[in-house]
Amino acid sequence: MDDLLQDFLTETTESLAEADLALVKLEQEPGDTATLSLIFRLVHTIKGTCGFLGLPRLEKVAHSAENVLGRVRDGALTATPDLITGVLLALDRIKAIVAELAASGHEPAGDDTALIANLDAISEGKQPAEAKPAPPAPAPSPSPPPPPKPVLVSSAPPEPVVLVEAPVVAPAEAAPAEAGGSDASPASQTIRVGVDVLENLMTLVSELVLTRNQLLQLARHQDNSAFTGPLQRLSHITSDLQEGVMKTRMQPIGIAWNKLPRIVRDLSRELGKKIDLVMIGAETELDRQVLELIKDPLTHMIRNSGDHGLETPAERRAAGKSETGRITLNAFHEGGHIVIEINDDGRGLPVDRIKAKVLSKGLATEAELAAMSDEAIQRFIFRAGFSTAAAITAVSGRGVGMDVVKTNIERIGGTIDLKSKPGEGTIFTIKIPLTLAIVSALIVQAAEERFAIPQISVVELVRAREGGTPPPNDATNPDSTGSRVERINGVPVLRLRERLLPLVGLDELLQLSPIAAPPKPHANVENSLTIIVVQVGPNQMGLIVDRVFDTEEIVVKPVAPVLRHISMFSGNTILGDGSVIMILDPSGIARASGVAGSGESRTSNAQPALAVVGTSSETDRTAMLLFRTGTDDINAVPLGLVARLENFERSRIEVAAGNPVTQYRGRLMRLVPMSGLLDLSKELQSVLVFTDTQQGQSGDRRMGLVVDEIVDVVEDYLNIELSGAREGILGTAIIAGRATDVIDTSYWLTQADPNWFDMKAEGTGQHRPRVLVVEDSDFFRQMIVPVLQSNGYDVTAVPDAARALALRDVGAPFEAIVSDIEMPDMDGFDFVKAVRAAGSWQHLPVIALSGRVSAQDVNRGRDAGFTDYVGKFAKDGLLTSLRQCLALGKAEAHRLVA
Amino acid sequence: MQTPPRSCLVVDDSRVVRKVARRILEGQGFAVREAEDGQVALDACRDRMPDSVLLDWNMPVMNGIEFLKALRSEFGPNQPPVMFCTTENDISFIEQAIEHGAQEFIMKPFDEDILVSKFTQVGLL
Repeated sequence: MDDLLQDFLTETTESLAEADLALVKLEQEPGDTATLSLIFRLVHTIKGTCGFLGLPRLEKVAHSAENVLGRVRDGALTATPDLITGVLLALDRIKAIVAELAASGHEPAGDDTALIANLDAISEGKQPAEAKPAPPAPAPSPSPPPPPKPVLVSSAPPEPVVLVEAPVVAPAEAAPAEAGGSDASPASQTIRVGVDVLENLMTLVSELVLTRNQLLQLARHQDNSAFTGPLQRLSHITSDLQEGVMKTRMQPIGIAWNKLPRIVRDLSRELGKKIDLVMIGAETELDRQVLELIKDPLTHMIRNSGDHGLETPAERRAAGKSETGRITLNAFHEGGHIVIEINDDGRGLPVDRIKAKVLSKGLATEAELAAMSDEAIQRFIFRAGFSTAAAITAVSGRGVGMDVVKTNIERIGGTIDLKSKPGEGTIFTIKIPLTLAIVSALIVQAAEERFAIPQISVVELVRAREGGTPPPNDATNPDSTGSRVERINGVPVLRLRERLLPLVGLDELLQLSPIAAPPKPHANVENSLTIIVVQVGPNQMGLIVDRVFDTEEIVVKPVAPVLRHISMFSGNTILGDGSVIMILDPSGIARASGVAGSGESRTSNAQPALAVVGTSSETDRTAMLLFRTGTDDINAVPLGLVARLENFERSRIEVAAGNPVTQYRGRLMRLVPMSGLLDLSKELQSVLVFTDTQQGQSGDRRMGLVVDEIVDVVEDYLNIELSGAREGILGTAIIAGRATDVIDTSYWLTQADPNWFDMKAEGTGQHRPRVLVVEDSDFFRQMIVPVLQSNGYDVTAVPDAARALALRDVGAPFEAIVSDIEMPDMDGFDFVKAVRAAGSWQHLPVIALSGRVSAQDVNRGRDAGFTDYVGKFAKDGLLTSLRQCLALGKAEAHRLVA
Repeated sequence: MQTPPRSCLVVDDSRVVRKVARRILEGQGFAVREAEDGQVALDACRDRMPDSVLLDWNMPVMNGIEFLKALRSEFGPNQPPVMFCTTENDISFIEQAIEHGAQEFIMKPFDEDILVSKFTQVGLL
């Protein structure tokens, strides 16, 4: 048979099975556009490919079905059960034709006019003809005709399409062949092969690779050998063979999930609950052996989530949730592991009931429970013989508990954990190693050894110079492009694009001593270090290595038992040159080096818990300095407001008039401990220095805010949610993925000096220029106003352009206006146009304040009528601009008077 | 010195269509690479830019229009030439495709004559 036709049969059979499943789903959620476009695409593709192969019957049926779906997609029709029945009938006809095509190699003759007429009627919005299963195609056929498709109607629960999962290995494609229904499927071109056969093949191929490499090594010393040509061919074929054999072992996890929609539907009927099953990452591939082993645990957990996790519709209504509960399955690769999350939005694990159960089963004493966190108590569900369901239902109470699930997962080297919130639901996270998977890995060298780092965890490679502490002014003026290695409290960190990443030397970590002594190998060129930035969960860290070679597709072999306790390795592998090297596990390294990201390293107080940084890359972000004080909570302050970061030794801190002070740059500086009390037991005090500089003035003041530790500098969006809960805190924002308190700088400045904002004006007795600030963000208003006040301006702030214009209309006198660009209703451009158009402010300097400052923006701003355009947080820029504008304004006024 | 063969990236979610296109194009001396959706295609372009792209529109993950937008915004408006494939059911997409920088459109099912004439029109043959 033509291989093109063979491809068509396999592809179409797969598409038909997928479309069947999706149609059932669409019937449940007629508004689900993603499912609709999936079905549309599948049918569209079937039709499109028929055209290439000259299969007019199939093309016509598919075309009519596509028309119907297209009308639904365009919103002209809704996916009623009748409509879906019509499309399912068309798919059944296509299946029947495809089955005969597979058997005979020719498209069978047959009459589809009734079916097509029915589809066309549906697509024109007419009442469809009586939907009845199509008769089998009249042409004689060696294969049995497919059974009639069950008609789906809304009153009776639909019989789901049963997916007969063909446990086969397609020779050219790792994708599973899924046969729809009981048809003699063309996918039966694939055959069943025992895993042990594949396993054996794999071993043989590995041996072959080694032998090939030895041969190549030998041939390298002989020029013009007659073996050169054949050897090269052997080499290529071996590589292809290795790749092919490895692929046969990999299958998408979706295979293990195929039966779940059916199980969930049955479950929802049995329990009288409404359940949505969402599956994400079904294409994530894993070793088929592992796949087999997790099928049962997964099924059990889904049952559990439906049975115990989700509430009944009545309970959900009462709790203010939608009646339909949701179970989400999510699979993805993470550092040589596959992670599967099973997430329900149900009631969460009831701590009280678990406690009662634990006590009644004698699994722990009351005192022990009292000392445990809720999380620890919830984990009791993994203990043998535990079951929270009050009555054992037919569904999950089958004597198999979560303990069995846990044991099964641990048996294949996996882990399981849970997170639960009362009323919000529970997430189970299963992490399974991808033993014997093919992984693309970066080969690196530390000391004299080579290691593989799974490419999936490698974010980037960085060469950085070793720089010591930054020059004092760097905090306010960060070098945005250079990357540099610095030390914070003795711990090396990489400053990379305004983020600090914890650094670990691979040789130190693995206690490898370089055989060749000095010069230190990884400090090769001009003290530069080669750093691999790796992703560990949501966080990143840097690994210092000596050399980076290349990426290679490697076969992960399990770690030998003697090394298994070392969590830094996830396996080993044989490289192309035959050498055996270890595969590093970045999360194990993070744990071992104590720089695990936020949340895990709270206990270490010797080293700063560097909350490593989440990734994001967009414009409009603000550099924030993160620090910790008193509690574990992270506080933040816009980096632009902090003049310097300093560490003062205890001996340098004195007390004057009952307040701690220190000598700083030749003058006394007041220190304000943020926690209220100065912890004098600490050798070094971390201090954020705020200054109030105005060039040319001698009266600049400074203040040091004492914090426990400086954690990080991150760039993130600053969406602050104001909450006046505590003094000194402006509100809370999500920064680098966690809730962070943003401090109110003006509060702390007045703690140092109650007259901070008044002194200048009083001291100098000068005229205070009146400035209007138009800014919709509470946060920025609160930030800018104190800065301007402290520099001697008399500030009025309004939250929108309308109110500003109202002030103009009542004749409020100002000497300058500072306006935000991005504001609702009327933005800064329109505002300045309104100002320039008429009224008493026509000639006032108006300075634009924007998160974005590109040449284009500046030009647009100038065109609209702004006098100047400065970036938010460019504090000095704003002050300079204001001074210049006001000076110009005066000159202008003088000129006009003259 | 021999000039290296021109290359074409065939982007289609159907293996069958890719194979048909590959046969025709290889017959014309093209080096053919395949991608089964827009994202894979975009990655392939980032890896090594082909001399031409034969693009389907209806694909999972990233459809043809999205791919085209991303390609043009990342690599400039004209190169490489993109031939946009469509069927009679979605002629409206042709306009969109041309607007987003496709040089030619081809109706499916295409055959050797159609493909060759379109590739000749954009100067690739």
